[in-house]
Amino acid sequence: MTPPPDHALTPQMLVQLRVIVGPEGVIVGEDELLVYECDAYTLEKHLPGVVVLPRTTEEVVAVVKLCARHHLPIIPRGAGTSLSGTVLAVNGGVMIALTRMNRVLEVDYRNRRALVEAGCVNAWVTNAVKAKGLFYAPDPSSQSACTIGGNVGTNSGGPHTLKYGVTTNHVLGYELVLPDGEVVWLGTTPDGGEDVDGYDLRGAAIGSEGMFGIVTRVLVRLIRAPQAFKTLLGVFETVDDASQAVSDIIGAGMVPGALEMMDQLITQAVEAAYHFGFPLDAGAVLIIELDGLAASLDQQAASVVEICRKNGARDVRIAKDDQERAELWKCRKRAFGAIGRLSPNFITQDGVVPRSKLPEMMQFIRRCSEKYGLRIPNVFHAGDGNLHPLILYDERDPDQVRRALEVSDEILTRCVELGGSVTGEHGIGAEKIDFMAKQFSVDDLDAMRMLRRVFDPEGRCNPHKMFPGSKRCGDFAPRKQISA
Amino acid sequence: MNLRPANKEDIAGLLSAANAKDARIGRLDLSGMNRILEHTPEDMTVTVEAGITLGALQESLARRRQWLPVDPPSAGTLCVLDLISCNVSGPRRFGFGTIRDHLIGIQVVLADGRLVRSGGKVVKNVAGFDVMKLFVGGHDSLGIIVEATFKLLPLPESEHFVQARCDSADEARRLIDSVLDSELTPTVLDLHNVDCDEGMVVILAFSGAHEDVDWQLGKASSLGFHESTTLDYERVFWTGSGTSPHRLSVLPSRLTDAVRELDGVRFVARAGNGVLYHRGPNAPAEPPASTELARRLKATFDPNGILHPMPPT
Repeated sequence: MTPPPDHALTPQMLVQLRVIVGPEGVIVGEDELLVYECDAYTLEKHLPGVVVLPRTTEEVVAVVKLCARHHLPIIPRGAGTSLSGTVLAVNGGVMIALTRMNRVLEVDYRNRRALVEAGCVNAWVTNAVKAKGLFYAPDPSSQSACTIGGNVGTNSGGPHTLKYGVTTNHVLGYELVLPDGEVVWLGTTPDGGEDVDGYDLRGAAIGSEGMFGIVTRVLVRLIRAPQAFKTLLGVFETVDDASQAVSDIIGAGMVPGALEMMDQLITQAVEAAYHFGFPLDAGAVLIIELDGLAASLDQQAASVVEICRKNGARDVRIAKDDQERAELWKCRKRAFGAIGRLSPNFITQDGVVPRSKLPEMMQFIRRCSEKYGLRIPNVFHAGDGNLHPLILYDERDPDQVRRALEVSDEILTRCVELGGSVTGEHGIGAEKIDFMAKQFSVDDLDAMRMLRRVFDPEGRCNPHKMFPGSKRCGDFAPRKQISA
Repeated sequence: MNLRPANKEDIAGLLSAANAKDARIGRLDLSGMNRILEHTPEDMTVTVEAGITLGALQESLARRRQWLPVDPPSAGTLCVLDLISCNVSGPRRFGFGTIRDHLIGIQVVLADGRLVRSGGKVVKNVAGFDVMKLFVGGHDSLGIIVEATFKLLPLPESEHFVQARCDSADEARRLIDSVLDSELTPTVLDLHNVDCDEGMVVILAFSGAHEDVDWQLGKASSLGFHESTTLDYERVFWTGSGTSPHRLSVLPSRLTDAVRELDGVRFVARAGNGVLYHRGPNAPAEPPASTELARRLKATFDPNGILHPMPPT
């Protein structure tokens, strides 16, 4: 049932690729290619024709030009931690993985900028500068593995975006290899001023899911680390109470660094895996992190405690030191990893609703869970209204697979109906193509296609993603869940 | 032709007709499109028609103790359309960023008259390409903005300005560095010589909770910022006579060098951002590196050239 590859690779092309990136930078064996058959969305899998691992921008250009001459699809890839099938080689093609271009090239402390290669791991940036009191703000939960180039591709967020914003607010400029091999620098240059004349092409291409070209170097903004933190854990009897506390904290005029919710199912799984000391019988817990100057934090923390109590919190704990704070965040960021204890497989959804609709949406998810007979734990960015329902299923049971997909559809459709979005940070990829027509009009989608044509007139870069009508995989036979 | 449309459908009709005849669109007067369509304080978002002035919007938001955290000159007469399409900013950008950081949704009329949306009404959203960014600083050259949705912030409990005078650019540099090396988190870090017979002034603003502002005022005082002040220099500079100011954007660490080269010409600078406005001779701007992409963009979105020319204009 798998459609034939768009274009076959010839032995001569493989020889040319080996000349460009060295023999160890070309992967063709089927066993080795299996690593690249999917990202963290494992319901669809496709083997790329070849994976190429360039070491420099010049090598990327040479590979891209070779592909252009032979009209081969190119698929940029970072660490493959994306959650929506964004880096699937749907009909084969040449996958260009940036993982060997992983250096922090320059840090300009005075101007609070760092120039890094696209394959540099997100957490390495902060690690490189924290001794001088700076950090790189976007902190996706996969930050110890995901790459800055991949973050640019998906406009990644994370728990702390509530206060600090997402990738597009922290990337000043970057080098992009267009699908014809031309190299352009978009936005602020490493030694240039932050205001750049002309169109904001930098912004327009952030979040383009690898469909405009290949990001090779990125200039990121560094910001001053907060002087102090207060990290609170609020324990609630019900999700509704916790949701109302979230609304009240925002309504009181506070902007916490992060405001995260975990419901009972996920809290139990996390506790079993990491033994932090979470209560097993609580309906929901909130992680509320206040940061900034020390002077006002006690007062703010007291207000948060009061709001939590008013909303029926049975307990509000404050992390006693940096170590306890770090432990708490480790539990939150590894929550997806704890799901393996609950279920062999899961689908992570990423819908967003206006904050005020959070209680209504959480009730809707609960009803869906009952209606479809599937467990749906929730761990999410409550302050942003960005949900992460985790739909648990067993792929060995075709009926469960069907129900998991149906419930996904129903939840995301409801997010759109409530004035939200089907994705807050994971992207459309191959997974959510069918939702684009629910969220956008034909003309809205056409404007996106027009923008894509400017960068990639042939539509050869990361094809079969994003747009309705894109070629879909005919057969639907998940073989294994590798990332749970 | 100068036109005063009453709603977005009027603009769609105008552009569609102009596009069919390859007729250039003149200046549109959007003062008839000045409504706040939806302000949900608990979501901290607002959707407006693009003709509303920033001043009117801020006034309305302030009643619910919120604001759109941008402060360009002439907010009283600046409409949201120009705020976005000219990408203007003010001194508080050091603390809060520019309008692109707060814009979460937009509706525009394309050159052929079609109404399209990008983004949405939620604060976090990565569905589809970020087409919205094309219109920030786009100078009405790819489409006409008719509606915009912003994320908002609570109004700060307290805000105070302090200044320190210095005799030379070198001294200014040392002062600015001392602020950047301290634990202070100013929301304004400006340098100007407005109303100075000689020398220049470094301005700081602190905003937020009373306790934080007080603590920072004490700390700033120990660095030499003793004098309480206001943003009056901004108004004086922008309403001043003479040619309209030029903008220079440099690495923040090179700002005082650029100031020295101005040789006494009147200026205000966002020292923390490296952005300098002055009434001296204009330095030739470097062409953006991606000119060919910009040309393709313009040709794709406005093939008949009925909208404004592509920036920089």
